Amino acid sequence: MSAPGQALGALVAYRGATGGRVNLTLGIAAFVLFIAVWYLIVFTGLVTERFLPYPGVVIGTMAQLLVTESFLNDVWISVARVWGAFLLSVVAAVPIGIWMSSYRIVGALVEPIVDFIRYLPVPALVPLLIIWFGIGEASKVAVLWMGTFFQLVLLIADDAKRIPREFVETGYTLGAKPRQITRSIVLPSMLPTMVDNLRITLGWCWTWIIVAEIVAANSGIGHYIWSMRRFLKTPEVMAGILVVGIIGLLTDQAVRIAHRRLFRYL
Amino acid sequence: MGAFVQIQDVFKEFETEGKGAAPIPVIDGVSMEIREGEFVVYLGPSGCGKTTLMRIVGGLETATTGDVLLGGERVTGPDRRKGMVFQAYTSFPWLTVLQNIKFGTKYRDDIGEPERNQIANHYLRLVGLEDFADFYVNRISGGMRQRVAIARTLAAAPDILLMDEPFGALDAQTRDFLQEQLLEICRAERKAVIFVTHDVEEAVFLADRVFMFSARPARVIEEIDVNGAIGPERTADTKETDAFFHLRNHVRDLMRDQARAIA
Ligand SMILES: Nc1ncnc2c1ncn2[C@@H]1O[C@H](COP(=O)(O)OP(=O)(O)OP(=O)(O)O)[C@@H](O)[C@H]1O
Ligand SMILES: [Mg+2]
Repeated sequence: MSAPGQALGALVAYRGATGGRVNLTLGIAAFVLFIAVWYLIVFTGLVTERFLPYPGVVIGTMAQLLVTESFLNDVWISVARVWGAFLLSVVAAVPIGIWMSSYRIVGALVEPIVDFIRYLPVPALVPLLIIWFGIGEASKVAVLWMGTFFQLVLLIADDAKRIPREFVETGYTLGAKPRQITRSIVLPSMLPTMVDNLRITLGWCWTWIIVAEIVAANSGIGHYIWSMRRFLKTPEVMAGILVVGIIGLLTDQAVRIAHRRLFRYL
Repeated sequence: MGAFVQIQDVFKEFETEGKGAAPIPVIDGVSMEIREGEFVVYLGPSGCGKTTLMRIVGGLETATTGDVLLGGERVTGPDRRKGMVFQAYTSFPWLTVLQNIKFGTKYRDDIGEPERNQIANHYLRLVGLEDFADFYVNRISGGMRQRVAIARTLAAAPDILLMDEPFGALDAQTRDFLQEQLLEICRAERKAVIFVTHDVEEAVFLADRVFMFSARPARVIEEIDVNGAIGPERTADTKETDAFFHLRNHVRDLMRDQARAIA
């Protein structure tokens, strides 16, 4: 088979090998196709421009927004809220998750409650959290924290539980104490999957921040999107949403690259 | 020299899940004594309780009744005196070969940093992995990974070396090579070794004494004095001698009887 033929074969083979270049090309192609379909929908008048502006208009609006100081301020505020809450969530979830997997009593005590709270819908908690924390920064952080901590702590506990029993036993037979095993064996062993889980959790933060900012805020991207809605400024609304997507995509890629660098041994 | 390890009338039952289920007896009254520097092999059919008995000696499992003494002291839990090499690969993927071996010295308080490096390099050479010192263990073969695990365990300076089918997952050539290398290392170290296997040839080749176990629950059905039968010298040619051949056949027949008992 010729080289391009082989490449094509690998593309459609079940679990076939893929290369970075091919993946990038396909990824870009999907975006182009998406925008083309969008364009056609407006062009054919399937949806009126008032509800769905041309892609060019939305992208133009976004370009303009990205040099508008007040909008950049909104972006900055949302980013700060997301990272603040995310870090608070991580700082709590990592030690508690590892504890849960290390000591049966902690796991047995904490897991049922965590499991229960995990199923409380976060949007329903927003009003309660506003009553408790007001409409300032505290309530935003509380919403994000509630939306991520309880998921994250279980993911971390699972990551820690999944390391081979023999790793821990090796630690004992080399003379390590439980604390030393946690620090020098359990943590490094679970780190790659943990970083992956943190990346996914950070993504959820962006969902909850928009919810929180729409309900009660006078700043942030969510607030911007919601206030543009009132004037039916569809291009602005869509541009705001796109900006959230782009920030998410960039963060995700940055963490992926860091992951590859950090865990070269994988 | 007197007994270094004393296993005294050990019984072990495992609790089973499920209401009213009877506990499973796994070790049925085993006693033995192992001298310092002696290489002892546990041989027995699959699932008979070899691993369990070794884990009891290592303090990773507790006997239901009976005691294990190490240098006259009762074993109550795992520690650095009882080094263990597992069948599963346990070298750490986030460390290089040399770092893995050095990890064995991490919790020794009898030495300082220069000695740790010295010891790590010594065992790196002893297991013949100098050329792979800076490789991550995911990049080396299974046989090499087991050598890393053995070197790491030795670097911790244990009093006894417990090995649970360390070569179980390896191909025949690698196995033969590692068996010879292991014997050389153990001669140099003069440590007591308990080595678990269900490969008859491996057992006879490595052992000073073989303990043949029954099908579960494990009892010692025969103690085979390999040194008495074929002498303490072992080389690559040992496996070709008549004495080795006869002894291996005898042990193989014992093994077959036990395997039949399961079937
Ligand atoms: N933690 C446990 N709980 C319950 N049963 C167990 C446990 N560990 C082992 N067993 C049972 O005890 C028996 C002996 O197991 P063990 O691993 O000691 O056998 P083995 O001789 O090492 O076998 P193999 O040659 O297959 O490694 C098996 O039937 C096993 O199912
Ligand atoms: Mg076993």
